[in-house]
Amino acid sequence: MQTTISNTFFIEEPIDKVWASLSDPMEVVTCVPGASITEKIDDTHYKGAVTLKFGPVKAEYAGEIEILESDPSAHRLVLKGVGLDAKGKGQAEMTMNGHLAEKDGGTEVSFTMDVSIVGMLAQFGSRLINDVSDHLLKQFVSNFKAKLSGGEVDNTASAGSIARSVLKEKVGGLFRKEG
Amino acid sequence: MITCKTSREIGGMGHPIKRKEDIRFIQGKGRYVDDIKLPGMLHMDIVRSPYAYARIKHIDASEALKIPGVVAVVTGKDLEKYNLHWMPTLMSDTQMVLPTDTVMYQAQEVAAVIATDRYTARDAKEAVRVEYEPMKPVVDPYKALEPDAPVLRTDKEGKTDNHIWHWEVGDREKTEAVFRSADVVVKEHMHIPRIHVVSIETCGCVADYDKVNNHLTMYMTTQAPHAIRTVIALVAGHLGLTEEKIRVISPDIGGGFGGKVPVYPGYVIAIAVSFLTGKPVKWIEDRSENLQADSFARDYHITAEMAATREGKILATRFKVLADHGYTDAAANPSKFPTGLFSIGTGSYDYDTAFMEADAVYTNKPPGGVAYRCSFRVTEAVHAIERLTDSMARALGMDPAEFRMKNFIKKEDFPWKSPTGWTYDSGDYHAGLKKAMEVIGYDDLRREQAEKRKKGELMGIGISTFTEIVGAGPSRDFDILGIKMFDSCEIRVHPTGKAIARFGTKSQGQGHETTYAQIIAEELGIPAEHIQVEEGDTDTAPYGLGTYASRSTPTAGAAAAVAARKLRDKARKIAAYLLEVSEEDLEWEPGKFYVKGAPEKAKTIQDIVFAAYTNHPPGMEAGFEATHYYDPPNLTFPSGAYICVVDIDKETFEIKIRRFVAIDDCGNIINPMVVQGQVHGGLTQGLAPAMYEELIYDEDGNILNGTLMDYLVPTAVESPRWETGHTITPSPHHPIGAKGVGESPTVGAPPAIANAIVDALSVYGITHLDIPITPYKIYEALKAKGVIED
Repeated sequence: MQTTISNTFFIEEPIDKVWASLSDPMEVVTCVPGASITEKIDDTHYKGAVTLKFGPVKAEYAGEIEILESDPSAHRLVLKGVGLDAKGKGQAEMTMNGHLAEKDGGTEVSFTMDVSIVGMLAQFGSRLINDVSDHLLKQFVSNFKAKLSGGEVDNTASAGSIARSVLKEKVGGLFRKEG
Repeated sequence: MITCKTSREIGGMGHPIKRKEDIRFIQGKGRYVDDIKLPGMLHMDIVRSPYAYARIKHIDASEALKIPGVVAVVTGKDLEKYNLHWMPTLMSDTQMVLPTDTVMYQAQEVAAVIATDRYTARDAKEAVRVEYEPMKPVVDPYKALEPDAPVLRTDKEGKTDNHIWHWEVGDREKTEAVFRSADVVVKEHMHIPRIHVVSIETCGCVADYDKVNNHLTMYMTTQAPHAIRTVIALVAGHLGLTEEKIRVISPDIGGGFGGKVPVYPGYVIAIAVSFLTGKPVKWIEDRSENLQADSFARDYHITAEMAATREGKILATRFKVLADHGYTDAAANPSKFPTGLFSIGTGSYDYDTAFMEADAVYTNKPPGGVAYRCSFRVTEAVHAIERLTDSMARALGMDPAEFRMKNFIKKEDFPWKSPTGWTYDSGDYHAGLKKAMEVIGYDDLRREQAEKRKKGELMGIGISTFTEIVGAGPSRDFDILGIKMFDSCEIRVHPTGKAIARFGTKSQGQGHETTYAQIIAEELGIPAEHIQVEEGDTDTAPYGLGTYASRSTPTAGAAAAVAARKLRDKARKIAAYLLEVSEEDLEWEPGKFYVKGAPEKAKTIQDIVFAAYTNHPPGMEAGFEATHYYDPPNLTFPSGAYICVVDIDKETFEIKIRRFVAIDDCGNIINPMVVQGQVHGGLTQGLAPAMYEELIYDEDGNILNGTLMDYLVPTAVESPRWETGHTITPSPHHPIGAKGVGESPTVGAPPAIANAIVDALSVYGITHLDIPITPYKIYEALKAKGVIED
């Protein structure tokens, strides 16, 4: 199962500060729900883990992150993560293209993630994967903003919270008034 | 009109007596395989592959084995030591029991966990760590045939592609010549989707090997217990399990529909583990395992063409099929028929030129395909011809009913030889369609449709007039693993005139305990309620190849009639002896022999049977028993005329089936209530692929609807009110003139529904939509036609 997630968000922080955090996996991963860096192999290779629970399916991906491109002058970052579920339930692969631009005194962050998931999670969550990703993304953005402004970061990604939030967004959407 | 020869008390053919088996079923007293609990029984659960195609690098069971209650974790390497890691399929292909190095589809068995209770086995399954090296799977059957496609079956020596077999029938050159010069030719590409039988009971077994006596009792959800016994002996004979040491018991079954014909790896693993531990081992699939791993049905890609004259006379048809079999050909066809009875696809129409060919391919999907409530690929064939018939009628500007009437084989032309080699036994297609049109009010509906079209409303009328081919089959052509496809009945009548009858078939809900009793009651005059029918135990039942492909009535039902007639002949001799007259002076009426011209001088069948045990004629063998193995001279050819009316919402494209009339001709009817029940169930299972069901795989071989949350099985909520009826054209060669009905509605319903929907949408130039036809598919089709915008 493949899906592409694109997003653009704005942060009221200078571009160099944003770049410094975003381009350092040790920093940025603390904002990714359910993720952690377990080992730094070298400047472009890291070992990490992602735990995702969705309903009855819990996936614990252990894998490697490789920085394919990190261009401080162009503010461009390309990284690839490959993870295998620890229990052999499947595999996830993600390539992220990120770009920063100065805007209105702050920074506009835009990125595209190509995610491919094989295995039980793909089976179970095929219809909800986009909603779940959206939710995780929102959590990431709020974490990242909080981190840059020195606030609290919540990077737990538990089944209950994801499922509830997704449901709330979906159901809420049905009743939302136009305009 | 059904006429009954016997009284209501005897309850022979034609009486709508209530099903005897329902007394226990409706009280929850059915005994299914999961109800079997043996002392010391172990439980098995199966670790399955998350990948469609991957190498197994390592299996680590150490954590699982630490869990209290876990007895063993079995892998392919363990089975390899006993040469049990591969097994043959019914189509002479091979299938993994457990893999030693490569998994070929998502949800394939990888290892088995054995524990003292089911919950521990399930928990321990989660603790088995498997390291895989995923590979890019081959999912699309067309891509599987491309020259650069990876060869999947590297286990087969010398295999250089993914092609399994090529099959063809008919006259290629003559067909091509007719097509070249025909006035009108239509062509449609169709996919008959991969679906699943979704029986309410999943598959399972209890394997009970007794080390002391070297004897295996196998309780198993199987539609063909005798065939299974022979297969086990062939697979495990080298371990000392010869056929007399094996007893297969098929208890009550909660639906089979063809899905319980194959031998699944779980059965073999359970036997192996019981053999090694000396303890009974139970394995019961859960719902998702059943849906994801057990044999699928259908999955035929068909290019179908028809040639006709401008005046509307069909000249020829041509079908080209690509069959996606998954990673092994585990179909359950008779040996000589790789495409089953697909060649019935020339349909109910009178023409003499046809050519059909099929190629089968391997892909990284579950193996199959079973004959889901269908005589081996008849559903695919009927869908193709009936959809094509509508397309041709449309191309000619003819009404589809008129076009069919014009082309039907005439009643007086039976037996009729089809261009693909079948001899249709009997039929009256004009009468069937005429009746269906009268019941539904066809002409009024067409007038209504014309009115609605003027208002821009979407209403469609669809017809399907199918010919079925069931009752496999005559021994000259039909065998499974070399065993001829006869079937059997043994009748024992006890001294008090009550009987037990045993059969080589196995009911999964068909109602054999009632209908077989009625056949014997018809022939012997013993009340049906006094005849106990027993099936499913290979130690007691005579050999037979089981129940599928609507073969029970055509084969075992015939065996029952012939065995009963043997007993009636004996009864005549005994009656003559008791009444002191010659046999020729006796007249039979159901339940008794009487002296011609002196009806008061009579002996009831009960008197006669009692005498067989207490006062049998000198020189005659005592007792009252008979057995018959019936080898049918031909198949039987039931038919039907179905008409469906749909209304489609112009905004949401929701499809509403307003009416559905099904007129079936299954020859003489044994029990109209049972037939009606079968038709209702079958129509609903025909509605399923027409509008709801399809197993969907993504490009990585992930199944995207592997649970019943996502795989839509229609229920009473989705089903319209089925209006059923019948015409009766007895089979001339069957002892009781019956033809079999179980699968007709499943086969006949999908094209009727699809034709109705396409008819509604034909105003937009749509000539075909693949089933399942959903509102979304209609939306996409109309978008593609430019009728609606995004």
